[in-house]
Amino acid sequence: MNLSPDGVRRFTLQSRGQPSSEAASGQNAVSIFLVEDNPADAGLLRKSLEQHDFEGELVIATDGESAIQFIDLMDSQQVECPHLVIIDLNLPKRSGREVLVRMRRSARCGKVPIVILSSSDVQQDKADAARLGATQYLRKPSRLDEFLDLGRIFKDILGGSPR
Amino acid sequence: MPPPAGMVTPEERYRELQDFIENAAVAMHWVSEDGTILWANKAELELLGYSREEYFGHNIMEFHADRPVILDLLNRLKRGEEVHGYEARLRCRDGSIQYVSINSSVYREDGRFIHTRCVSLNITEEKKAAEVHHRLSAIVESSDDAIISKDLNGIIQTWNAGAQRIFGYTTEEIVGKHISTLAAPDRVDEIPNILERLVRGERIDHYETKRKTKDGKILTVSLTVSPIRDESGRIIGASKVARDITERGLQEQALRDANAALTRSNADLHQFAYSASHDLQEPLRMVVAYSELLQKEFGTQLGPSGAEYIGYTVQGALRMEQLLRDLRTYTLASTSARDATADIDASVSLDNAIKSLAAAIKDSKACVTRTDLPCVRMHEFQLEQVFQNLIGNSIRYRGSDPPHIHVAAARQDPDWLFSVQDNGIGIDPQYKEQVFELFKRLHSIAEYPGSGMGLAICQRIVERAGGKIWVESEPGRGSTFYFTIPRTAV
Repeated sequence: MNLSPDGVRRFTLQSRGQPSSEAASGQNAVSIFLVEDNPADAGLLRKSLEQHDFEGELVIATDGESAIQFIDLMDSQQVECPHLVIIDLNLPKRSGREVLVRMRRSARCGKVPIVILSSSDVQQDKADAARLGATQYLRKPSRLDEFLDLGRIFKDILGGSPR
Repeated sequence: MPPPAGMVTPEERYRELQDFIENAAVAMHWVSEDGTILWANKAELELLGYSREEYFGHNIMEFHADRPVILDLLNRLKRGEEVHGYEARLRCRDGSIQYVSINSSVYREDGRFIHTRCVSLNITEEKKAAEVHHRLSAIVESSDDAIISKDLNGIIQTWNAGAQRIFGYTTEEIVGKHISTLAAPDRVDEIPNILERLVRGERIDHYETKRKTKDGKILTVSLTVSPIRDESGRIIGASKVARDITERGLQEQALRDANAALTRSNADLHQFAYSASHDLQEPLRMVVAYSELLQKEFGTQLGPSGAEYIGYTVQGALRMEQLLRDLRTYTLASTSARDATADIDASVSLDNAIKSLAAAIKDSKACVTRTDLPCVRMHEFQLEQVFQNLIGNSIRYRGSDPPHIHVAAARQDPDWLFSVQDNGIGIDPQYKEQVFELFKRLHSIAEYPGSGMGLAICQRIVERAGGKIWVESEPGRGSTFYFTIPRTAV
């Protein structure tokens, strides 16, 4: 399970006050695949997930190319399907749109919820995301409180509570 | 040939000769040495329009338009010269001038000057024709355009000064050469086609093509080629007028280049607008979120000043964000790729604007009333933007009473006149133009926040839709913003 392309890092999500060793393997463990090149945003998102009691694994691809390679690994059953995919639009090498399309075409994991998380509020970007099969389009908030609140929305998407 | 002598008497012969001379088709007269007219025939009297009494016995000089000419003529004759084809201008009874060509000699007896023997040919028609011809030639010669004639085989027959100036060949060099000498290498093929069309009697009007000068320079010319017919209507050649439009072509190219540059800069603006909404927002979000995180997690260690500084950092970045957002809206309003193609209901735009302002309306206890609004040809979100900015301003610049804002529309052909009226602080009339300028603010940020772009955006949107926007206001009593949108044909 340590198979990863360059540009893909794995993190363990620890909800506040829970020991980590149990979290990753526990019944409620989730796996979230985040495609995001900006470590500042990735850091805030991780904080947000942990504040909303997500436990499990956060896999971060920092460019479009390695994201697509990682999806290839999902299809060849070398890694498990994530429970949720979060994609930024503006990415190095391959765009967030391409990653979204590739993810939706995945034979094995094509049905997982995909959230586009972008700083763009251009109508065209939102429309494109919906057309290409995104579950939801979220604009990255500027204010810290709103950003940290994103975890709640992800929780809703996953069906009320993390599995 | 007169009948041979012997068949008529000398008297008869004399009468016949007299009749012959009197009724001859050419004008004849006798003039004495001092110029007195002794005799003239009928043709001469008819030519000038005088009766015998008005002509005979008068001096010939009275009837010449040019005194030096007749003096010279008489002197020559007195000296014993015979003159042939001597041209003179005679004055007729009706004041008109006739041109004549004079043949004359003196009849002498024993060396004594008896009278002249003067025969005058009327050459007035030829003279006039020559004059017209001369004038036409002068026009052709003075033309800036090349005027060339060619026969049906394409051989150049005439060549004017304009042609020499444009193509560089002199008349001697080019007359007799084939017209294809002038064609640009890639246009030689079109010559047979032009000649064929001419033979069919067609005229070729303002045909733009390429021609080559003597020194090989390629010119863009506009050609007009018309068939030349002889008197019987048979086509015998063609006249060709070539205008050098190389310069015009260059100007058109410059215009196309400028247009392309504008299109590019428009595309750049679009790109900027996209960046403003995305790439430029990104680092600002970092500043805001991480300053707030710093405050949240380490605020206690920074002390009260630290909290204040972080507050300013966040405020500054948020304001920058707002500016970028507004600048993008402004840019998109100026460069919007497409004009609206369908009518939208203005009341829907107003509803949406009010929805976006719900919080501000609630906080300020504002009351927004309206009349019926028409359908107009605009992008819905743009009209919404106009209402949102104007109503937003009415709320922001409110007086001590809760804002009352009235939105109305009235037909004012050929437009719809919209108005947004409020009871706010109003605008000093001297600023009523300036408020629409980009980044123009009348108040400090601390008093009234805002990017200073709202009204500039409104103006851009309204003008793009073909309308105008202005404000009427009395400080302390409120403002009314008016804008027009052209009515669409029903």
